[in-house]
Amino acid sequence: MARLELSSVGKAFGSVRCADNLSLAVESGEIVAVFGPSGSGKTVLLRMIAGMFEPDEGDILVGGQSIVGAPPERRGIGMAFQNFALFPHMSARDNIASGLRAKGAGGDIAAKVASISSLLKIGHVLDHRPRELSNGQKQRTALARALIGNPEVLLLDDPLRNVDAKLRYEMRLELPSLLRRGSASVLYVTQDYREAMAIADRIAVLIEGRLVQVARPEEIYAKPASVAVARLFGDPSINLAEVTPVAEHGALFADIAGTRVRLDTGDREPIDLGACWVGVRPDDLVISHAPGDDAIPARVVAVTPMHEKAVLLLRFSDGAEWLAALPSTTTVADADDNVFVRFAAEASLLFDRATGVRIGLPHRRQAA
Amino acid sequence: MSMAQLLQTDTTARPKPRPRPRGRWLPYLLSLPALLVCIAILVPFVTAAVYSLQRYRLNLPYLRGFIGVDNYIDFLTDPAFWNTLKISLVYTAVTVIAELLLGLGIALLLRRPTRFHNAVSIMLLLPLMTAPAIAALMWKLMTNPGFGILSYLVSLLGVHDFKWASDPSTALFTVVLVDVWVYTPFIMILLLAGLRSLPRQPFEAAALDGVPASFVFFRITLPMLAPYIITASLFRLLDSIQQFDIIYAMTQGGPGDRLMVFQVQAYLEFFQYTNVGRSAALLMILWLITNILSNIFIKNWLRLRERAHGHA
Amino acid sequence: MEHSSLAGRIFRGVALTLVLVFFMFPIVWIFLMSFQSNEQILRIPPSILFEPTLSNYQALISGQLRTTAGNIDIPFMRNLMNSFVLSSAAVLLALLLGVPAAYAFARFKFKLGETIAFTLLSFRFAPPLLVLLPLSLYYQQLGLSDTYFGIVWVYQLIALPLILWIVRGYFEDISPDIEHAYRLAGHSWREAFTRIAVPLAGPGIAAAGLLSFIFCWNNFVFALILASADKQPVTVGALAFVTASGIQYGQIAAAIVLSVTPTLLLALYAQRYLVEGLSLGAVKG
Repeated sequence: MARLELSSVGKAFGSVRCADNLSLAVESGEIVAVFGPSGSGKTVLLRMIAGMFEPDEGDILVGGQSIVGAPPERRGIGMAFQNFALFPHMSARDNIASGLRAKGAGGDIAAKVASISSLLKIGHVLDHRPRELSNGQKQRTALARALIGNPEVLLLDDPLRNVDAKLRYEMRLELPSLLRRGSASVLYVTQDYREAMAIADRIAVLIEGRLVQVARPEEIYAKPASVAVARLFGDPSINLAEVTPVAEHGALFADIAGTRVRLDTGDREPIDLGACWVGVRPDDLVISHAPGDDAIPARVVAVTPMHEKAVLLLRFSDGAEWLAALPSTTTVADADDNVFVRFAAEASLLFDRATGVRIGLPHRRQAA
Repeated sequence: MSMAQLLQTDTTARPKPRPRPRGRWLPYLLSLPALLVCIAILVPFVTAAVYSLQRYRLNLPYLRGFIGVDNYIDFLTDPAFWNTLKISLVYTAVTVIAELLLGLGIALLLRRPTRFHNAVSIMLLLPLMTAPAIAALMWKLMTNPGFGILSYLVSLLGVHDFKWASDPSTALFTVVLVDVWVYTPFIMILLLAGLRSLPRQPFEAAALDGVPASFVFFRITLPMLAPYIITASLFRLLDSIQQFDIIYAMTQGGPGDRLMVFQVQAYLEFFQYTNVGRSAALLMILWLITNILSNIFIKNWLRLRERAHGHA
Repeated sequence: MEHSSLAGRIFRGVALTLVLVFFMFPIVWIFLMSFQSNEQILRIPPSILFEPTLSNYQALISGQLRTTAGNIDIPFMRNLMNSFVLSSAAVLLALLLGVPAAYAFARFKFKLGETIAFTLLSFRFAPPLLVLLPLSLYYQQLGLSDTYFGIVWVYQLIALPLILWIVRGYFEDISPDIEHAYRLAGHSWREAFTRIAVPLAGPGIAAAGLLSFIFCWNNFVFALILASADKQPVTVGALAFVTASGIQYGQIAAAIVLSVTPTLLLALYAQRYLVEGLSLGAVKG
């Protein structure tokens, strides 16, 4: 079957390395999200697979066979573009059918177009030109065009980037089943970690042309490979503090703003560590008015509603600022309150301060 | 097409070294015809440069030989050359200034995009789309001393015996008139496009502040329009100094040598006096002048564009 | 920002009227003249009241010109035919050669492309005789002088740069992803070029083609140097006709009307494209 495999792929434009020794396999029927900040090389990666340019090094295989050097039209790839890239002078129907016609699929074209367009709810606009379509309809037409030929490899370049929030929410629910209709290996590029987590079986995190972590969504959230990955996943993003953990009485402790807090050691023996970052997600902070040895005193600077949560900006006695995300139904504190911050040892992540790499093995938890 | 079929046609070795990207030759193949045209221009151009350094007369082929820059040096003491230079520069200056002022004026008149204004600007395309040589013939008919309507009209004003192109004192005026008739619409079109693309805010702000119209024109409109004015005049300038069609069709450079501009003089040197070397040297000098002019203008254009953007 | 005072409006009205009279009068007057007999033309004072006659056009179409010195043959219809053949062939060839090259310049950034584009551009401003005079000597050696092919080829110097610079701008405005999408749907680059790039650049190609046709038609000096009587277009033919016909002014006017009518009709028909092409061709190069 058509497994997509990248093996040590490299590409540079001038002195900029857009792809550095990328290796990744996407199984048939699997959806892998390529996630990273803008400029990390996501689009370059897709375009190398699609054949718009060739890698400098390494190989790209589909079903075990190299496709490097083959022209785009012979790679068996379907692609949905961020800007839709619909053919402006053709109706939506002709846009969708173009691939089938090129392959000379014959009489069943009409039936296939009808079926995919009813699936994507664009049956009523098939005779319209792209400029007469709404953004959402354009996006669905582009998806239909990519899906209709049941390609062995399906590439989606941030397809929800240019549609409004409501539609994006709907599509996030619809897309996984749509993409799994055939047995395509799907690469889905996105800049939105929620989208990646909602749609993909696995997420490949790309930073500056390198794959820093490839894993299931909940694993990436719970066990980010590095502080950079931890910061990319989560909104508001993870709280960090500079610490030098020490082992005492079979446990690991660190000093945050003058308070000694216990850190997670997983099932490892605690040992003294060098300079580290400790990271705690805003969702894992517990805020109360009850003082204690394990509680960090803080002052609430501001309370902001965000999504379905209330986000508290906290300032510790040493001036460090952390964020806490609480369910907005509970009103624990108001601005200018003095509060106490706790978190479970299992919620803490430790990263090496020099390399950013995660240390230790915290317990696995469910993603928020 | 399945992957298996695809790979039968794909003969590239794998996994390493990487094959050269396919289709590298494609852009070169596509631009081959344009390259041929370039060669068709460059070869005669270089030939002309070589001829200009030769004693080369078609009627005396055995005298042909390399004489260095003698053709050019001869010009220094040749009154005919200085006459040509003078006439060409005067013709250029007069036509470009007249067309620029007139074109700017018309563009300002047509500035608001009403239906009537658009119709007028389309009608003004017609002279521009008339072949300049034919336009010269049209004006020749209208300025015929015997029956020409324009001769009749000036006689009504009390000017009798106005000989237009056949009188040395009015010949320049007459050909300039034809040039203005043909090419003013070109400047008008460019400036109109420029005027209509200017941002509205500065004008609205000036109107709110009650700034006088003359100030708006000289301090806002003109500076912002400057890049368009420079482009339009550059085009006219380069065309005008090379004017051939109108002058040749009207008077063939006459009366006498009154309108003997560069290209007409070079044409006659070549075909009438069969002096290829001299003709080529004349054209090389013209080419040099056009190069200098365009360089000066392009520099100014870049500077003005920056300033205009600063204003906006 | 608009003055709507009475004096201002009167001034604008008068100015626009003068502009229209100056630019339209010659065309109208020559048009009227072409329907007048010589006696009517020579009448003083001139009058716009006359009995129109088609005799000038009949003489031109029959190719027989009656003069005081007897009948002479006038190949003016042949000149007209030559103009059509030469201009159409030149534009077709230029489109055939220029559109793919414009596409290459727009899609592939390569040094040769830039060099070609700028060479053509800079020679757009060079004196045409500088190239034409040596070329006429080469043409004699190559046997190309006074052939249709030879003239069509030099017309490329007019048409090709225009097409390259205008059409290239249009190709650059098409998102390359649209072509990528078409290729991924299973089409070769040639199909993507002919079915996506060319149709989408259609207006630009039309503008460039029309403008080139008009410029080729209106050209005078190329054919003056390279063509003899039976290959000459109307621009050169009309001048020869003036010399030959002497005082047959009505026929000269009719010949002028026939020479300018095709380009003027084209200009009116395609004025939207034309203005765009002129400004773009001028601004971009």
